[in-house]
Amino acid sequence: MDVVDLARLQFAVTGNLHFLFVVLTLGLAPLVAIMHTRLAITGNPLYERMTRFWGQIYVINYALGIFTGLVMEFQFGLNWSGLTSYAGDVFGTPLALETLLAFFLESTFLGLWIFGWHRLPRRLHVACIWLVTLTAYASALFIMVANSFLQHPAAAVEEGGRLVLRNFGALFTNPSLVAALPHVLGAGVWAGGSVVMGASAYHLFRRTAEREFFTRSLRIGVLAVVVGSFVTVWFGYTQFDKVASIQPDKFKGVVPALGIALMMGLGQLVLLVVWCLAPLLFRDLLARWRWTHPVLMIIAPAPFGLVIAGWLTREVGRQPWLVYGKLSVADALTPGLTPAAITASFAAFVGVLGLLAVVDWTLIIRAVRRGPGEVALGAPDQSADPAPTPAHSF
Amino acid sequence: MEIVWFTTFAVLLAGYFALEGFDIGLGVLLPVLGRSPAARDRLVGAMAPFVLANEVWLLALAGVLFGAFPALEGTVLSGLYPLVVVVLLAWIVRDAGLWFRRRAGGARWRLVWDGAVCAGSAGLALGWGAALTAVARGLPDSPLDPLGLAGGVALLALLAWHGRTFAAWRLDGARGGALLLSACAAALPAVLVVAGAAGRMLGDAAPDQTLTVLGVMVVPFVPFLVGAQVWVWRTFSKGALPTFF
Repeated sequence: MDVVDLARLQFAVTGNLHFLFVVLTLGLAPLVAIMHTRLAITGNPLYERMTRFWGQIYVINYALGIFTGLVMEFQFGLNWSGLTSYAGDVFGTPLALETLLAFFLESTFLGLWIFGWHRLPRRLHVACIWLVTLTAYASALFIMVANSFLQHPAAAVEEGGRLVLRNFGALFTNPSLVAALPHVLGAGVWAGGSVVMGASAYHLFRRTAEREFFTRSLRIGVLAVVVGSFVTVWFGYTQFDKVASIQPDKFKGVVPALGIALMMGLGQLVLLVVWCLAPLLFRDLLARWRWTHPVLMIIAPAPFGLVIAGWLTREVGRQPWLVYGKLSVADALTPGLTPAAITASFAAFVGVLGLLAVVDWTLIIRAVRRGPGEVALGAPDQSADPAPTPAHSF
Repeated sequence: MEIVWFTTFAVLLAGYFALEGFDIGLGVLLPVLGRSPAARDRLVGAMAPFVLANEVWLLALAGVLFGAFPALEGTVLSGLYPLVVVVLLAWIVRDAGLWFRRRAGGARWRLVWDGAVCAGSAGLALGWGAALTAVARGLPDSPLDPLGLAGGVALLALLAWHGRTFAAWRLDGARGGALLLSACAAALPAVLVVAGAAGRMLGDAAPDQTLTVLGVMVVPFVPFLVGAQVWVWRTFSKGALPTFF
């Protein structure tokens, strides 16, 4: 593989890892926020346990979203400085807004939410998780604005060999954005609901002690999957017209064709299964009928495979362009990037992030299996005084 | 507009070292100040609620670099390629240590991730010191020479002192004056380096239209950005220590 291939592969692997964690963040945040709001309104201890249990899953997952996101943010400057020198005056704007207006606040409010149990007033504590959700969605908006600009460089004109921002508003009305954004957000809700649904089905199938806890959780998870899968599929179809007008050859290659076939085939099959089973939420039949639980567990990982298929379709389908029709991927590479540098950074980033991703998934599975009995999120604080030194006995 | 964004950049960089500097320093000192597992829990508990709010200053800095100084972003990051990779990896390893250390039981598990916190923090300090030295020298071809290493060790010592004063303030009731002093000292090298690069940065800013759009979008949110940070300090400066990290 040459330098361009390695740099592309590095972006693809880190980007897809990032996507797997971020899509669950986007889906779980509103579900946890809803649980926390119900706790604040009703004071029902069951909702406190649900908020802490699903909140802990959300938080463990969030960590890897940050780690992979850091590498994404800096990778443009490391490997693709041709992009910043040609289109940075336009492309840099949504990325700058993402860090300043979205991620800065998201991370700060998440810190307040994680560590603020026992010290923030209840309403303000709930406000924190809603602000985390809001800023996470703002993040998704700005990143999709940036990506859509690469797909279809609206809002800019070329002057003196560089792209110049002409119409800021046009970045947000980009035909590549308007249907793709709800498509991705729908997939997030689908993924978040799917994890809640699959984990609840696991506990109900195993007949663990937490019957009421997981019956209620199952309801929330299945409803989120019903809504999320519908939004995803609907806005998947509405993209076809727009893609045909801006990137007519998008689905001609092998990878995009396979990707779109997988999304339509598997995506709609899962949607059909969940829509058929959802009426069984009536009188909690779904929680009581044990034969349905393995089905729910099997279809739970589907949205994660589908988002990768979606990413591959969208990104491979516009090759060889980085900025469609304007700047090729090969021309965007950092000048003078050596095979040694890209190989070393590839091995380091992919090795470290891959290892940590496996650790993180293991921790998520472990937290799910342990159930709501032992949850660290919201556990009591410890005294700031030093622990007494153990007395020596002579 | 260039001046406004240059100042923003300088403030974010100074804020990063003044705030995240004590997390890094305390991480480096973790095995020194925390000889027992309980003592390390206490040190980590002291900085834990601040880490997320502190490290975002660097992300915001990268955003400003990308949005307002895009031409420079490519030159500086790719010019410092090995150091940027080291800093990123060290940052990830340090964060992984913090997020994972209490996620499973067992003394060995905790020890491994405490080691990650310490090693990652040391890598961050050394990498940043070498990077600042390299920028001050105008991006030499091999930034990891003896001078670069000396810069790294100097910053490591400075941040370790800053971490020590933070721990004394938060855990042992020391007064805030020393912490303020060490915070200013931690930010000083970065501020000097950026001041030295001011001419180059102002010349390489994005066109006015881009800078104006960024300004119009960001200014209304500044009270929220500042307010969120103040809220963190008001909430976690005193009292018992959270136990999630």
